[in-house]
Order: sequence, then C-alpha cells, then structure tokens
Amino acid sequence: MKNMEGSSYNDKLDRLDRCAGLKKVDRVPIGAATLYFPAKYSHISYEDMYYDQEKYKNASVRFAKDFNWDAACMLRTFETVTLGLSLAGTDPQNAVNTAVASVLGGGFAHDILKDNYSSHPGREIPSDTESQFKIKNPVMTSEEYDEFIDDPFGFLNRKVVPRVYGALEEPGSSQSICALMKFGMKLGTALDDLQVFTQEMKTADCPPWYMAICPNPLDVLGAFLRDFDKVILDIHRVPDKVHKACEALLPILLAVGKATGEISYQLTGSRRVFFPVWYNSFLSEKQYREFHWPYLKYLCEELIKAGYTPLLSLQGTYDHLLETLLELPAGKAIAWFDRTDPVKARDIIGDHMCIAGGISPSLLIGGSVQEIDLQVKKLLTEMKKAAGFIFTLPFNAIGPAKIENVLAMTEAVHRYGGYTQP
Amino acid sequence: MIDLTSLTSAVGELDEKKVMSMLQEFVAGAPETEEAAQAITACQKGMEKVGQRFETGEYFVGDLIFAGELLTEAMEVLKPIIGSAARQKVGKIVLGTVQGDLHNIGKNIFKSMAEAAGFTVYDLGINVSPEAFLDKIKEVQPDILGLSGVLTMAVESMKKTVDLVKEAGLREHIKITIGGACASYEAMQVSGADAWSTNAAETVNVCLGWVGQHQE
Repeated sequence: MKNMEGSSYNDKLDRLDRCAGLKKVDRVPIGAATLYFPAKYSHISYEDMYYDQEKYKNASVRFAKDFNWDAACMLRTFETVTLGLSLAGTDPQNAVNTAVASVLGGGFAHDILKDNYSSHPGREIPSDTESQFKIKNPVMTSEEYDEFIDDPFGFLNRKVVPRVYGALEEPGSSQSICALMKFGMKLGTALDDLQVFTQEMKTADCPPWYMAICPNPLDVLGAFLRDFDKVILDIHRVPDKVHKACEALLPILLAVGKATGEISYQLTGSRRVFFPVWYNSFLSEKQYREFHWPYLKYLCEELIKAGYTPLLSLQGTYDHLLETLLELPAGKAIAWFDRTDPVKARDIIGDHMCIAGGISPSLLIGGSVQEIDLQVKKLLTEMKKAAGFIFTLPFNAIGPAKIENVLAMTEAVHRYGGYTQP
Repeated sequence: MIDLTSLTSAVGELDEKKVMSMLQEFVAGAPETEEAAQAITACQKGMEKVGQRFETGEYFVGDLIFAGELLTEAMEVLKPIIGSAARQKVGKIVLGTVQGDLHNIGKNIFKSMAEAAGFTVYDLGINVSPEAFLDKIKEVQPDILGLSGVLTMAVESMKKTVDLVKEAGLREHIKITIGGACASYEAMQVSGADAWSTNAAETVNVCLGWVGQHQE
C-alpha cells in the first residue's frame, strides 16, 4: 500500500496503549473488529470463516499483511458463554475455556451443542450471510428471577443449560454425554488453533483489537437469558429483581473479564478487554444510571485496578450518557462509538478518555474513493484535537464494503492521521 | 363509563397497573361496542403522549417497547367487546426485516407505534425476501413500505427490495422508509428509499405526513 509506514507488532501495541493512556503518538492508529471483510478480500465464504480454520486463518493473515492496520479482530460469536458461566462455580479454568470456545474457535460448538442463540452461515442461513446472535426463546421466565438470584450456578445448570442447548436438553442422557465429550475433544484442538492463529498474526504485525471479553450483567440478562425486550419489561415490572440478578452476575462476570484478560495478555501482549454494551440505546439516562451503569462502572474499575484497559463498545446511541464516562479514571479506558457523534463525544470526554470512532460503513459500501478520503480527512481534523483517538469502525460492519474503499480509508488514516511533533 | 381522560393519562404515564385495572373494571360492566371504541381511542391518545415524551427526551426507546406491550395488553382486554368492528384507518404499511437479517426489536417498536397512530400494518416478520415483500405489496396495495435492518449487509437487501418494486412498476405508488441500526442517509441513498430513521416515533410522523395526516 502507498503512503504507509511499516510498524512492528510491538510498535503498534505501544501506539494503541499510548493512545488509551492519552499520551502523545506519531499518528492516529487504526484498528477494528472485522470478521467478514477479510472473507470478501480472500474470496471465501462467511461459512468458511466459521467452519474452515485454515481458510479463516489464511484470510485473516492476508488481510492483516495487506492492510497493515494497527489492530484487527476476527473473533466470532458467543453461543458457549452460557455453558461457560454455568461451570464457573465448579471449575473456573474450564469455565473460561468453554465460554470462549465459540468466540475464539468458530462454529463447531454450535453444531455440537445445538444452541438456540446463533444462526450461522451455511447452517440456518446462507453461507454468504453474517452470523446472527439472538436468543430465539427466553430461557428464563420473569417468575424465575428468585430461583436464579438464590443459586445462580444451580439455576444455570439445572434450568438454563438444558433450555439453551438442544443437545443437552436431557441432562445425563447418552445424547447429552456424547455431545459434551465431542465438545471437549474439539475444544482442545480449538485452543491449539488459537495459539497458531495468534502467532501468525504476530508475524503479520497485527495485534488484536481485542481478544478478552467482559460481559456486563444487564446485557447478559437480555442477550443470554430473558431476551432483549423482556428485560425492558422487567425493569418496569420487577425492578428489584433485575437489580438482584445483576448483583448475582457481577462477580462471575468480573472473573470472566480478568481470566480472558490474562489469556489475551499472555498470548498477544494486549491488555484491552472488550466490553460489549447494548442497553444504552434503550434506556433513558435515569434508567441507565440505575440499572446499567453502576455494574458496568464497577467492572471497569476492577479491571483497571487489575491492569487491564476496558474497551467499551458502546453500540448504538450513547450521546445522552456521555457524562457517565467522566466517572471512570482518566486515561485508563477506551470509549468505542458507532452511532454516537464522535465530535460531540470529544467535547465532553476528549480530555479524559481515549475515543475510538470512524466513518459510516454505508459509505464504505456505496461511496466513492474520493468521498472516503474527504470524510476521513474531515473526521481526523476534528478528532486529532482529542487527547487520544483511534480510528475504528462499528463492530463487524464492513463485510460488503468495496475493497478499494477500505484501502482508501486506510491510506487516508495514514495520510491525515499524523500528529505534528514539537 | 370509564374515565377516558384518566385512561389516556395512565397510558401516557406507562402506569400498567392503573390501565389494566381500569380496563378490567370497565369490561366487567359489559360496555357497548361504541364505548369500547372510545376506550381504544383514549389508549391511542395515551400513546401519542408517549410519543411526545419520547420526542422531549423524557422517555427513551425502552419506554416505547413497554408502551407497545401495554397497548397490546389493553387491546386484548378490549377485543372481546369491540370484536371486528371497523376502526378508522389512516393508511396501510407493509413492514418487515429484510432478507439475511433476523433482528426484530426496532421493527416491533415501529409496528406498535404505527398501529397506535391508526395504520394497518402487515408485518411480514424477519428475514423477508424481496419477492415476499413484492407479493404482499401486490396483494394489499399499501401506501408505505417499511424496511428494517440492523446488519450493514441489510442495506444490500433493502436495495434489492427497492429495485424489485421498481422493476414491478410499483415504485411510484408507494413510499419507502428504512429503519434500524443500519439506516443512515448514505444507506437511504444506496437503497433508493425515500426516508430513513433510527427513531420509530419520527418514522411514524413521516408516515402520517405521507398519508396526509399529522400528529396533533
């Protein structure tokens, strides 16, 4: 690629860490979660990105080498998180490996466990369609909150796991035992594959945008147990129970954040921990400050104390909640926006917290190279005034983008992203 | 007779207990169909208040979800009284999440609000093919086509759907709006729609404008 310096893996890690710490860097880094665009670039299907580890690895490495981003992430989806959480009271290490199996290992767990969350390319949906994670039926009723609150692990094991995973619907049955054995055998291979993958990405000088994950209580309730809109109804109808369920989940999720953070650091050198945050788009500031933010803030603070950098993926709208971010320690976390106006965010948190944002994915799909160049220049002119800025894109949002547009965007970040050195 | 002003106010305040107890007491008194129709109108006015509070920022998206649930519950109580008696409709909307996308929350919020505003909504569900949209358009001849999507790739499906409507020679007869997390000005241009929004209440107002109605 033209006009792009070649930084080493460690230079890129350092550039991102300095940005998060609001320290001076040579230029704005670029990093994003982009599972599907490398598939397009290498002419392989989305199904291959889930089910053919060799093609997945080769496409990711090829993308990493050719685009020279400061970080990229091609992680997959979350269907084993519930099974992992159910094991956390018994065997934390096994729980973490299980929880990340689908995120890091691809679609094998979906095929074996037959979860009711994911629809995968080449399975429930066409091989060129993006995987979608959506609970198909609630696996916990509003009447079951007390049971969950009294004994989270017992409830997850006895009630939730058999409801989520078709292959485990009859605990103790031969079908269930066989499925768990198959899952265990494949998990070993998947963890080996992960080592190879991270090594090759290191060789390609591409650190992960993130590898660790810290889910938060309210989003876990919505995404994994009750269904998204049901939690909204619960907030109106049984607010105290929602609080108690969040409190019950908090220590478990903190353990997940710390454990995956450590895996990420050991394997890749990155201390960023991905915090997917979804309910912000649905809650008023009053509701958010009551039901969401206290738990999220606690998790961030604890991860920061443990030496990690929360990468808050504030998906959807966060414009009405920006001031909450000032309550986190300065220079210790990254606020990653997709629909929130980054310039407005800069005016409120720009001296306090590193901002990650970018241009509209629609522009990368339908726009021209000239439009991309102009938009990146415009954004960087504004955002370089912030104490720390990382150019990124919404989560896994550029699968159908034109290749020339992604190239133009990358070159524009290098062209206009340099900081004037004193 | 039920206190219609209080009912409107209770819906606007999302006071589920009050709304349901008022309606259950009302139904227990074996009201006439006309009285039940007035109660429905009062609930719809309450939904307008919800929309207004949303516009001022007092309510947020989650409150619209709860309001939709409240209205559904209210209608279930009143349906046995009102039966199939005709209610005045302001227009027809064919709605769905486009092919390849399985998300439905935003679509459902819009559906509740559009129905409350007086539209007949034909909800085709999720992962709807361009052909299925076209078949329904031919069948019911709607005023408006609402295409919903969350994934970026949904924009392509929206474009394919709009293109198919064009090929069928029906584009001039129908307004098209896109909504959901993937919607943007650029997505509207790429897809060939007439309007875009990520805000269900705003979209309902646009739709009312298209059929010559305006919110008070």
